Amino acid sequence: MKNENKKKLIELENIHVDLKSSFETINVLKGINLKIFKNESVGIIGESGAGKSTLIMCIAGLELISKGKILFKKLPIHNLKEDDLALYRSKNIGIIFQSFNLLPSMTALENVNLPIEISGNFKNNTMAIELLTEVGLKNRIFHYPHQLSGGEQQRVAIARSLISNPEILIADEPTGNLDKKNSEDVMKLLFKLKKDFGSTLILVTHDKSVAKLCDRIIKIDNGLIVK
Amino acid sequence: MFIETFKNLSLSFRELRGSFNEFKIVVASIFLGVFIISAVGSISENLKSEIKNKRVEMLGGNFELSTTYQEFPNNIKSWLENNGKTTHLIELRTMLSYNSQSLLKRRIVELKAVENNYPLVGKVIISPYQKVKLSLRTKKNEKKILIDKSLKEQLGIDVGDFVYLGKSKFKINGIIEKEPDRMFSFATFGPRVLLSIDVLKETGLLKDGSLIKYKTKFIPNNKNKINLAFLNDLVKGTNVSIRSIENTTNNFNNFVDRTSIFISLVGLITLLISGVGISNGVKGYIIKKTKNIAIIKSLGAKNSKVLNIYLNQILMIFLISIIPAIMLGISIPYFFSSIISQELFNTFKPSIFLQPISISFLYGLIICILFTILPLLKTYKIKPIELIRNSSENSLNETSYKIKGIIFILISILCGLTMNLINDKKLSFYILISMTVSFVLIYGLTNLKFYILSKIKFKLGTTFEYIRKTITKSNSFARSIVISFSIGLSLLITLNIIESSLDKRITAAINQQAPSHFLIDIQPQQIEKIKTTALSILGNNNFNSQPMLRGRITELNNQSVQGLKVDKEVEWVLRRDRAFSWSNKIPNNTRLISGEWWSENYDGPLLVSIGDKIAKGLNLKIGDKIKFNILGRNFEAQIFNTREIIWENMDINFIFILSNSNIENAPHSWIATTKNIGPNLNNSFVEKIVSEFSNISSISIEESYKSIKSILNLLIIIINSIALITLFSGIIVLAGIIDVSKKDKLYEVAILKILGATPRRVAYLWFKEYFIIGLISSIISLIIGTLVSYVLINSIFNIEVYFDLKMILFLSLLVPFLITIFSLLKMLSLIKSKPLVVLRAYF
Repeated sequence: MKNENKKKLIELENIHVDLKSSFETINVLKGINLKIFKNESVGIIGESGAGKSTLIMCIAGLELISKGKILFKKLPIHNLKEDDLALYRSKNIGIIFQSFNLLPSMTALENVNLPIEISGNFKNNTMAIELLTEVGLKNRIFHYPHQLSGGEQQRVAIARSLISNPEILIADEPTGNLDKKNSEDVMKLLFKLKKDFGSTLILVTHDKSVAKLCDRIIKIDNGLIVK
Repeated sequence: MFIETFKNLSLSFRELRGSFNEFKIVVASIFLGVFIISAVGSISENLKSEIKNKRVEMLGGNFELSTTYQEFPNNIKSWLENNGKTTHLIELRTMLSYNSQSLLKRRIVELKAVENNYPLVGKVIISPYQKVKLSLRTKKNEKKILIDKSLKEQLGIDVGDFVYLGKSKFKINGIIEKEPDRMFSFATFGPRVLLSIDVLKETGLLKDGSLIKYKTKFIPNNKNKINLAFLNDLVKGTNVSIRSIENTTNNFNNFVDRTSIFISLVGLITLLISGVGISNGVKGYIIKKTKNIAIIKSLGAKNSKVLNIYLNQILMIFLISIIPAIMLGISIPYFFSSIISQELFNTFKPSIFLQPISISFLYGLIICILFTILPLLKTYKIKPIELIRNSSENSLNETSYKIKGIIFILISILCGLTMNLINDKKLSFYILISMTVSFVLIYGLTNLKFYILSKIKFKLGTTFEYIRKTITKSNSFARSIVISFSIGLSLLITLNIIESSLDKRITAAINQQAPSHFLIDIQPQQIEKIKTTALSILGNNNFNSQPMLRGRITELNNQSVQGLKVDKEVEWVLRRDRAFSWSNKIPNNTRLISGEWWSENYDGPLLVSIGDKIAKGLNLKIGDKIKFNILGRNFEAQIFNTREIIWENMDINFIFILSNSNIENAPHSWIATTKNIGPNLNNSFVEKIVSEFSNISSISIEESYKSIKSILNLLIIIINSIALITLFSGIIVLAGIIDVSKKDKLYEVAILKILGATPRRVAYLWFKEYFIIGLISSIISLIIGTLVSYVLINSIFNIEVYFDLKMILFLSLLVPFLITIFSLLKMLSLIKSKPLVVLRAYF
């Protein structure tokens, strides 16, 4: 890797996440320390319930930590208020979920445009159409999610995650709901676009072959990085 | 700014796409309340505008000048004739008799004798078509009259038949379909009969002391110069009263305002109940949209952005609901234009007014925002992390000061609007206070009941324990159902208790104290003979008579009554002629409130006894002075005592009773009542008197009571029907709640079925659950209804509270059955659902 790619983008220091229910408190993350560098791709693997998704949601500012520090480009984000976290996500993060999470009342084009509409940066459809063309859905831009297959929906989600040109792409088991063929296609596409857009990819997966595509693999077990 | 707003609206609309169905209850809730307010407002504004346009026609001129007993002073009459157009009328009551196959039918009628140029404005519509002037002309010694169509129906008479007025025979020459100046000249005692003024003079019905009204309708040549103040100066010192189009229309407008206030309040209450429906609908919608909200937030949306998206959606739904509601509301006068023109005006052209549109729009908007702001704020509590994990239940535990401030401002605007709508500060204050107290009571009692229910351990078995836990759990909608039905039911129970208490009071008065008949226009020389006849037929103490004449109050404590500020409830006393009596003996059954009666041989300066409530309303006390104008002469009397007047006993009740003085020498008549001692004796006495003295008219209290009762019953039906709308609104809320809680109920039925419950068993369980919710609502409504009616009956009507137990029981059971049957019908498909299919599909 070149030097500039070694720039620290995310630093996690002693991250703890405790989830409280009416009956008990579960320590999901028990002291995670991690550095993620610009433009690298990091695969996070581990058993179900190990804390993989919780970790990346902390990075995305969606999960609040109980203890520790999260720094983005050396700036702390763990103590930001809800609205500031939203702004942080809007500018820097693109998220791809396992269950796609598209808005059912909007077309593929509208779903892709949604992040820039929310941030107030929407000007026209050019970028969204380009992205949808890039992900192979040029002819499906006016289709609603229920008119698309699972693989196509995830492609729309990938296009949506890139519309704001974010520095960090977070993918939470993006192929978890797809068959083998679609999984391979989606992963190829994801890595291609990551490269094209120069983003940093943080990928949660339980599929080791998928993880191997990343520059670095981190294994989490019982809320701790074990490898 | 504009582009940004447009972009936000566009985003909100696209997010809303496909979810319109979720809002059907919200739409129905907003629609109903706004429709009522806009419809009532439109009808009221149309009526007021129509009256403004036709007020000259309805009064019969720009001014109506009138005197009682005496004809107009000649100088005034000639001045009027020289300075404008005039037509003179004479009005009096008399008995009309018709001999049908040897059966003599009698009916008191209101005679209106007119000149050839009547009416000055508008026209009388007669069936068969003819002109008034020609229809009343005597031909071949046949005197002609026109009769009201109600008289035609009552006596079974028609055009061509002959009837008697006094001793004179008349031919019915036509039926009055429309009388232009009827609305401002109510024929209160009997149907109208029109005849020529010259013919009336020949009948001998015009006797000194008879209650005869002489009227002149006047259209001045110089309308700028000749106004009410000018004419008041002109008639100063005489017994002439003046009505102008302004003060007459004010009375009618007050009537329209009071009626529309009641219906608008029902609309407002409906909107407030609808608010519960709107709130639940939006709450359910936000719950269904949790995932979407989490997605939007995960993509970087701030809380305010999310709130903006969903508030925009609510406002879109609001517009979708309110536009047809207002359009339908303002169309109502068009739908009813034929009835309005038939009953009130000859012609009626409805128009669209801005005020009812803006008021109903504002009411709808405020209620909509007021009741959706808290459910919408739940979006703040939805976290994007819910996309990967179901977090604990969303609840808005605290409301920020900013939101509290917004709610306070909205409530203040709502109060301000209501005060503006009612246009009577005192009344609107009472209404707002009683509505607030009722709502707080309903809310408090509902929570108290549910708190008690949650704490008490039932020993009634598993089923009741299950129901208790279901309806008291924190996310149960049972409270909303109870609150929305309790509001409507409390109103119905309150109205019912007031109606039954009033009815009981009147019926008791009729049965125990009220006289059988009134005899009016008895000449002084006739009274002794009538007293003797009464003694022989009715026996001792069954006949009551008092002298009577009419006059106007001109001054109170040397202050002119023109423009004098008095209690609105007693303004009518100063407005027109009032009846006076005199007696040195305290009348039977009189209860003095203050002061004492003057001695029987009193012969000093004029004293007066006055009704206590009237005295208080006019700010008068013992020793104060009242100046009367009787037959053109001014008399000043000092108040000597105040007494209780019980109007409900329907007996002779004079507000003013003077001491014997020179006044008994003035031309006057007597009024008499006969005690109810059996229909045969009463009827034979009355028949003997009216056949012997043709100038005397009789009024049967029983018949009057029947006709008043039928009008009252109609009013009660209308009022209750309007109030029933609030229950309908409760049903809309219930429908919405069932929709929102469908998923929970499906889960419940699936689990129950898996545990072995049959569909019938589930239905029975839900029957009990909803019946108990209904019963809680009934109990709360009974408490509130009884409290409110008790306060109103004691403070306003001052009569004994009476409960029509059957009706109250019916109303109390109506709501539980309504809730239960409606819920079961709406949830029938849920009961039939297959448990595994449900569990797979939803959970």
